[in-house]
Amino acid sequence: MPTSELRTIDEINEKIRKGEAVVVTAEEMIKIVESRGIKVAAKEIDVVTTGTLGAMCSSGAIINLGHSDPPIKINKAWINDVEVSHPGAAVDLYIGATQMSETKPFEYGGGHVIEDLIKGEEVELRATAYGTDCYPRTRLETLLTKNDLNQFYLLNFRNCYQRYECATNSRDEVIYTYMGKLLPHFGNATFSGAGELSPLTNDPNYETIGIGTRIFLGGSQGYVIGEGTQHNPRNQFGTIMVRGDGKKMSPEFIHGASFTNYGTTLYVGIGFPIPILNEGLAKKTSICDDDIFTEVVDYGVPRRDRPTLRKVSYKELKSGKIDINNKEVKVSSLSSLKGAKKIAKTLKSWIDDSKFFLTAPIERLPTDTVFKPMKLLSAMPFVESIIHPAMTCKEDEKVKSVAEKIIHHSINHVVVVNDEGKLKGIVTSWDITKAVAEGKKDLTDIITRRVFVTTPDEPVEVASRKLAQHNISALPVVNQEKKVVGIITAEDISKLFKR
Amino acid sequence: MVKVLLKFSDKVTDQPITSQVIKEKGVTINILSAHVDQQGGEMLIEIPEDEAEGVIEAFRSKGVKVELRRLIEVNKEKCFDCGGCISLCPVNVITYDAEYSVVFDEEKCLGSTCALCIDACPVRAIELIT
Ligand code: SF4
Ligand code: SF4
Repeated sequence: MPTSELRTIDEINEKIRKGEAVVVTAEEMIKIVESRGIKVAAKEIDVVTTGTLGAMCSSGAIINLGHSDPPIKINKAWINDVEVSHPGAAVDLYIGATQMSETKPFEYGGGHVIEDLIKGEEVELRATAYGTDCYPRTRLETLLTKNDLNQFYLLNFRNCYQRYECATNSRDEVIYTYMGKLLPHFGNATFSGAGELSPLTNDPNYETIGIGTRIFLGGSQGYVIGEGTQHNPRNQFGTIMVRGDGKKMSPEFIHGASFTNYGTTLYVGIGFPIPILNEGLAKKTSICDDDIFTEVVDYGVPRRDRPTLRKVSYKELKSGKIDINNKEVKVSSLSSLKGAKKIAKTLKSWIDDSKFFLTAPIERLPTDTVFKPMKLLSAMPFVESIIHPAMTCKEDEKVKSVAEKIIHHSINHVVVVNDEGKLKGIVTSWDITKAVAEGKKDLTDIITRRVFVTTPDEPVEVASRKLAQHNISALPVVNQEKKVVGIITAEDISKLFKR
Repeated sequence: MVKVLLKFSDKVTDQPITSQVIKEKGVTINILSAHVDQQGGEMLIEIPEDEAEGVIEAFRSKGVKVELRRLIEVNKEKCFDCGGCISLCPVNVITYDAEYSVVFDEEKCLGSTCALCIDACPVRAIELIT
């Protein structure tokens, strides 16, 4: 639906220079189109600004330290105890946002180092090296601020997802994910992205975005340097790669963050100016939350392809409540909606004040690439492959008879079931020994009723994590009707991995 | 109504202190939430204003520590209004205002007997006052 060109980037820049460009935020654009129609809006509006401030894990910063005397070719380095990598020759370091501190893991990480540097704070650098004839030094310890660095560039290889899933949790325990803390039994849900304000949502075919597009990045001007990793345009999961000068950024729009039991990350503020080159772009930038959809996904299933529960609009998400399986569930945004608004407004004011000029991309983001899954050399084993029959008993059995089963079959776990074969609890040989010592005769006094379970189609890796996390040695295997179909033990798993 | 936090040491958790106080004073006590572990227990209750003094006295005389105070502290310097904590709160303490700033109605908070939002904040802006 190519529509005729209304204006060029050069013409817009000329108007910006004269202070005559008409700039509105994506939210304002919706209202203008609603009240005056697309044709008028397209004619009058030159630029629409967007914004988002969300957790973007695939972020980091490249820094150059300058040379010490005698010089060092850094092999390993840490800033504030966070390991930083050495992708270059001698003194170039990359601070990855998700790399965690060795002394304060899960609380402080690369994202925090970047924020501290932006704030102008002093950070502690430690480095070691093997020493060469040209770079003899093997150890280094120093304190640095951003002013001591030659270059300090944010260099994020995947930012600004076009849209993202809404996460919830079907399990009967709290889980901590990169989508935040998810309460059991669909107790809450979280989502990311600013909906109608989101940058890529307002230019979904990447007409104006590509290599060289100047953008708002972390409170300063930055650039799109290409499509982001995992860019997946066919499913509207586009991403971008960006670069911006960390020395000029503001801590208001860059936050180091910790997701409990998941790790550290970086919140990054990004905004695009979208030039209204044609009527089509006027229409696209007037998209509103009612028309932006994503999926509610069950993060309780720890697989690559998690089950989708339903489709949901951003309008519904932003209302704070969504309906899942006929239950009202509270939902919260993980990205700051206030921050997104502020970014769109700030970018607008920069253009109004002739401080920000638009660029045409040298090459647009690809619209046809696919995002492939990982190639693995061997298939992942499932619980199915190591399951064996469980020794079962009923709740009303005596300790003595269960003890006999344990001895006779030389096993350690007996699964307690009801008449329908449904799980009621578990008893271990240790429980039995203890019961005998204490003179207890009834099984009901010693049954463990809160039992962690697995299913035949669960990856062994996931079952193994359950054993380790809860410090237990076996998991009953249940089917969809909660009937016990077998058991797996820590021993089965170690045998499998030894093969 | 006055909201007070009762702290039971492990020595008194096995006694029916709350029902004793209710019986003695003839008041209604609204139990908002409770939490018990090996170290003891905590209970958040609401009592009618004019009865508060007597009830607090009664709990104290039975060896329960009674505290009247704010239960959480939100560091507004750190908070950047991400909204991540909102969906964790069971009693709607946390909401957006008209500008999408995240605001806390601390009066309603259940404090350490709940604490669901505390470790959900990515910048650790919410703290329990202990
Ligand atoms: S501790 Fe947090 S989640 Fe719990 S009631 Fe208070 S504000 Fe709400
Ligand atoms: S999660 Fe933390 S930063 Fe986000 S709104 Fe709540 S208190 Fe503020």
